[in-house]
Amino acid sequence: MCGCALRCWGWGPWAPGPTLFLGLLLSAAPFGLHGEETRQVSLEVIPDWEGPPQNLLHIRAVGTNSTLHYVWSSLGPPAVVLVATNSPYSTLSVNWSRLLSPEPDGGLTVLPEDSVQFSSALVFTRLLEFDSTNVSDPAADPPGKPYPPYSLADFSWNNITNSLDPVSLSSTFQGHLVNDPTRAFANGSLSFRVQAFSRSGRPAQPPRLLHTADTCQLEVVLVGVLPRGNRSLFGLEVATLGQGPDCPSMQQQHSIDDEYAPAVFQLDQLLWGSLPSGFVQWRPVAYSQKQGGRESALPCHASPLHPTLEYPLPQSPIVRAFFGSQNFCAFNLTFGASTGPGYWDQHYLSWSMLLGVGSPPVDALSPLVLGIMAVALGAPGLMLLGGGLVLLLRHKQYSEYQSIN
Amino acid sequence: MEEEDEEARALLPGGSNEAGRGTPAAPRALPALCDPSHLAHRLVVLLLMCFLGFGSYFCYDNPAALQTQVKRDMQVNTTKFMLLYAWYSWPNVVLCFLGGFLIDRVFGIRWGTIIFSCFVCIGQVVFALGGIFNAFWLMEFGRFVFGIGGESLAVAQNTYAVSWFKGKELNLVFGLQLSMARIGSTVNMNLMGWLYAKIEGSLGSAGHTTLGVTLMIGGITCILSLICALALAYLDQRAERILHKEQGKTGEVIKLTDVKDFSLPLWLIFIICVCYYVAVFPFIGLGKVFFAEKFGFSSQAASAINSVVYVISAPMSPIFGLLVDKTGKNIIWVLCAVATTLVSHVMLAFTMWNPWIAMCLLGISYSLLACALWPMVAFVVPEHQLGTAYGFMQSIQNLGLAIISIIAGLILDTRGYLFLEVFFIACVSLSLLSVVLLYLVNRAQGGNLNYSARQREEMKLSHTE
Repeated sequence: MCGCALRCWGWGPWAPGPTLFLGLLLSAAPFGLHGEETRQVSLEVIPDWEGPPQNLLHIRAVGTNSTLHYVWSSLGPPAVVLVATNSPYSTLSVNWSRLLSPEPDGGLTVLPEDSVQFSSALVFTRLLEFDSTNVSDPAADPPGKPYPPYSLADFSWNNITNSLDPVSLSSTFQGHLVNDPTRAFANGSLSFRVQAFSRSGRPAQPPRLLHTADTCQLEVVLVGVLPRGNRSLFGLEVATLGQGPDCPSMQQQHSIDDEYAPAVFQLDQLLWGSLPSGFVQWRPVAYSQKQGGRESALPCHASPLHPTLEYPLPQSPIVRAFFGSQNFCAFNLTFGASTGPGYWDQHYLSWSMLLGVGSPPVDALSPLVLGIMAVALGAPGLMLLGGGLVLLLRHKQYSEYQSIN
Repeated sequence: MEEEDEEARALLPGGSNEAGRGTPAAPRALPALCDPSHLAHRLVVLLLMCFLGFGSYFCYDNPAALQTQVKRDMQVNTTKFMLLYAWYSWPNVVLCFLGGFLIDRVFGIRWGTIIFSCFVCIGQVVFALGGIFNAFWLMEFGRFVFGIGGESLAVAQNTYAVSWFKGKELNLVFGLQLSMARIGSTVNMNLMGWLYAKIEGSLGSAGHTTLGVTLMIGGITCILSLICALALAYLDQRAERILHKEQGKTGEVIKLTDVKDFSLPLWLIFIICVCYYVAVFPFIGLGKVFFAEKFGFSSQAASAINSVVYVISAPMSPIFGLLVDKTGKNIIWVLCAVATTLVSHVMLAFTMWNPWIAMCLLGISYSLLACALWPMVAFVVPEHQLGTAYGFMQSIQNLGLAIISIIAGLILDTRGYLFLEVFFIACVSLSLLSVVLLYLVNRAQGGNLNYSARQREEMKLSHTE
């Protein structure tokens, strides 16, 4: 089984670039996981026959010899468990009574257990809010005076069955604060739109992250929520599994290519272990308008990952159910700066990220750019060459005539 | 700047005393500084001429220096922001033909200069008011008025130079004027951001009012230029009285019907010119934020690097002018300049190398091109059509700048900087293609464009013989 691990991740329609070659080199490593061009993707809301409906979304992406399982749930704070297996027949098994109990360990398993190659989890624990007035430094951390955060475990979520779209392979968790004395969420909500893909491509909406069949996209949208200050910045606290005493690494890649997200030359990545294992990838940009354009782009700042031993994080039953008791690392994402566009413009904020296994997708120059460059550099060169030859030949003829005379 | 201001004022009362006497004093009785035939006096005039253009060059690139602030405070996207440059260029599509005519036949050089300076001043004030009243259309209108004055003022400035320095230090004067223009642009790039921050500090907050006040203060340079125009007018009239010299004329004769007689090499020169400049000026207009966003430069560092083209151009223009004069071979120089620009844009687009390298290359090639390209027109056009040819060249250059400014903003908003750079590369490449074509056509027709200086000398001799 492991022999075929030599096959490459990241075969895609990308033109070669130095990063891609590096990616290929790394992905050819024998400990790798399988990348697949296309996958059979199915979305299923797993029902609990004995109780009230629960939001447990299972995305199963089957390839020729591997299966990816994404389990999204809003039991507790919104969370996702990501499992990669090397069998096209692996399945998810849910023990509801155990999952809903105070000790959910073992409530979620992927069978056969020895097919599991990689697994990890993300938990979106809290919605942060900062008062950015009187903050002059845009890169300050924290970006202002913090308000008490909203714990996402205290949110009530819609029934995702209604938003399940088998065509676009997406579903949306929409939630609002249950105990809301200030009525901040009276006309507002925080939603997590989850989308899986059966093949590689790129959405039309910025930041237009390149996705493959091995990835899953999450779009977080905050809309209509009353901010507690005139210039409130929002943020999101994200927790993930630690690796022993260490935290996974955060990478910031610089690229020359901003064609798909104008003026954003950076790509942030969270990597679990050495490549290729699993990753979270996002562009450090959020948008304050629905049709995210450059004028509504907000910088998105990610703090380094830190262990969360000092303070209690809201616990996610599904993560506990799959992994048992683990230590967590967390990081904060903050959207916007005290100057420039912000949430205050339209009470709207959207941010996207990609979650997947294997090597993260690598952007390459678009065919249009390559085409224009080829013509732009080739035409004058050819012209010079061709014209030079013609002139040389004519000159030769001319001098021959002269010599006869 | 204040020193110059004082100097201009100091000259005025001295002059009015002279005029008060009513009788033309004997030239010998005048001190050197007040004697129009004396070098010292001409130097004063030269100083005034240089500062005559300072205001318009300073204010031309105000939007580039304050790009972030303009876009944030006026809440416009890059496409709309670039309209500020387009509106400057639109009137000049027509005025390039008319400027000379207006100066020669309608206003005369003195009134012409004053009127164009007034346009520049009023334009800048309206531009600033647009900021204060938070009306972007008013800002655009201000840039339009500013544009009416701006280019024509440059023509007037040159006419003054010819009238005072012909047969003396003319080339040096032209060079100095150009250097002064570049210094104006450089000072603007590095000063306006700082000025904005100061005013933001004193007003308490950023916003359209801060922007408007900053621009209004920038407008002081235009007032200074207007004062220079008035002083020049006075001194010029005085010189006319004392030396009985004629009022300066551009001597431009524009006959639009000449266009049909333009030869293929001339059209190629036009294409080279347009395609080259549209890849330089709109780029500088957008450059500051590019350096900040792609290379992570601070605002001040981004301003500095964005002005480096002008900084290099100031001392290099006279040097390259001399070089091209001494060697000839204009097409080869143009080819080198365009190819270097291509390389520099490719570096900016596809590498993360320190942009100082690319910008210095751009500065050098830009200066070289200006020195090698513009004189070529004179080699392919009979002298009586020269005015029309230059007018036409400037006109389509402005047309190109107006259109490409808008397109550049549009591309940046939708496709990002890489694509914008690729677009500029395509423009420079078209320019390069035209240079190659020009070289071939010139070779095939046995033209004189690529003669060395010695060949030119020989040609001249054989003609006179």
